Amino acid sequence: MKELVIVSGKGGTGKTTLAASFAALSNDKVMADCDVDAADLHLLLKPNILKTEKFISSQVAVIDQESCLACDICRNVCRFDAISEDYVVNPMDCEGCRFCERMCPIEAIHMEKQENGRWHIAETEFGPMVFAQLGVAEENSGQLVSLVRKEAQKLAKENNLNYIIIDGPPGVGCPVNSAITGAQLAVIVTEPTMSGIHDLMRILELTRQFRVPALVIVNKFDLNLENTKEIKSYCQKQQVEVVGEIPFDPGVIEALKAGEILVRFSGDGKVSEIVADIWKRVFNRLQLI
Amino acid sequence: MNIAVSAAGDSLDDQVDGRFGRCPFFVFVESESMAYKAVPNPGAGAMGGAATKAAQVLAESNVDIVLTGSVGPNAERSLNALGVEVVTDASGTTVREAVSNFLDKK
Repeated sequence: MKELVIVSGKGGTGKTTLAASFAALSNDKVMADCDVDAADLHLLLKPNILKTEKFISSQVAVIDQESCLACDICRNVCRFDAISEDYVVNPMDCEGCRFCERMCPIEAIHMEKQENGRWHIAETEFGPMVFAQLGVAEENSGQLVSLVRKEAQKLAKENNLNYIIIDGPPGVGCPVNSAITGAQLAVIVTEPTMSGIHDLMRILELTRQFRVPALVIVNKFDLNLENTKEIKSYCQKQQVEVVGEIPFDPGVIEALKAGEILVRFSGDGKVSEIVADIWKRVFNRLQLI
Repeated sequence: MNIAVSAAGDSLDDQVDGRFGRCPFFVFVESESMAYKAVPNPGAGAMGGAATKAAQVLAESNVDIVLTGSVGPNAERSLNALGVEVVTDASGTTVREAVSNFLDKK
């Protein structure tokens, strides 16, 4: 079983747009949306949810109102101003550090696990899919990413599927580490802007750290030919293959607005062909690993 | 020498888990006697910063080498600062095999 992870460094470069098209162009795979902070692959793949589970991870403090002495120690030690004047912990502010629990002289404070989000197993037109959504104001989590990947691996085994395509999170933080580690191939989607270039360098460093080979796609390449040239020259020096260049096309936005997958959108011609071509190359590289 | 292996279970015959930060256990093996002890990895249940929590467990246990599959950048830096050597080609075997493969190479 091989895992392909789509990452970017900079956000907004087109990972999910491409991931959805790759889903439509490929067989024999499970789709996993690991951008749990801002999951949107399901908006394009339109999954039929088969199972939903709670994701329970963080903890918040709860004060036993009956025993509370109103001594104010907890309020004084809390670094997050999470405890009200009448000694009620606000779960939105509480960071779960447990300092109050430790300092309460009569042990009137205990921790309760919180539901931070939900994850789903679903069926789509293109095969099984696993995705997750964190709750409002919940912190992004490498643990949830890890869970989504494990479930995708289970599904692949159960259904005898040989590939997993992971729509990864943006950036280079812990959730991205969790999405990249152990994958066989990374596709880095970048764009020809200064932050696009800078963040391409950072994400490439990360894929190197995890020893995952990377391919680069330059999206909207014709918006700045100078920067595209710089990206290509950088990739060449780093011995990283640029596996495709996609021109900017308002048709892509029209497809997204219609909630349609690019390569299936009747309004678009040229960019669809380019994306289909890119997928052939990516899949070919994936098979060679 | 004291070797730590990132593992899917708590014995020498369990599979190596290639993920340093989120493996369920670390199995500590003394290479001469093959005496071992398994410790649950606090990073496994962590929301974030898993690998640094895992590195902390190793820091507290006087280990010379860790055998694993892949390590994040912050964790690697921490382990290097602690003087723990990191070997990242241990996937796909049991803990026992990973240790003996490593010792054979030396």
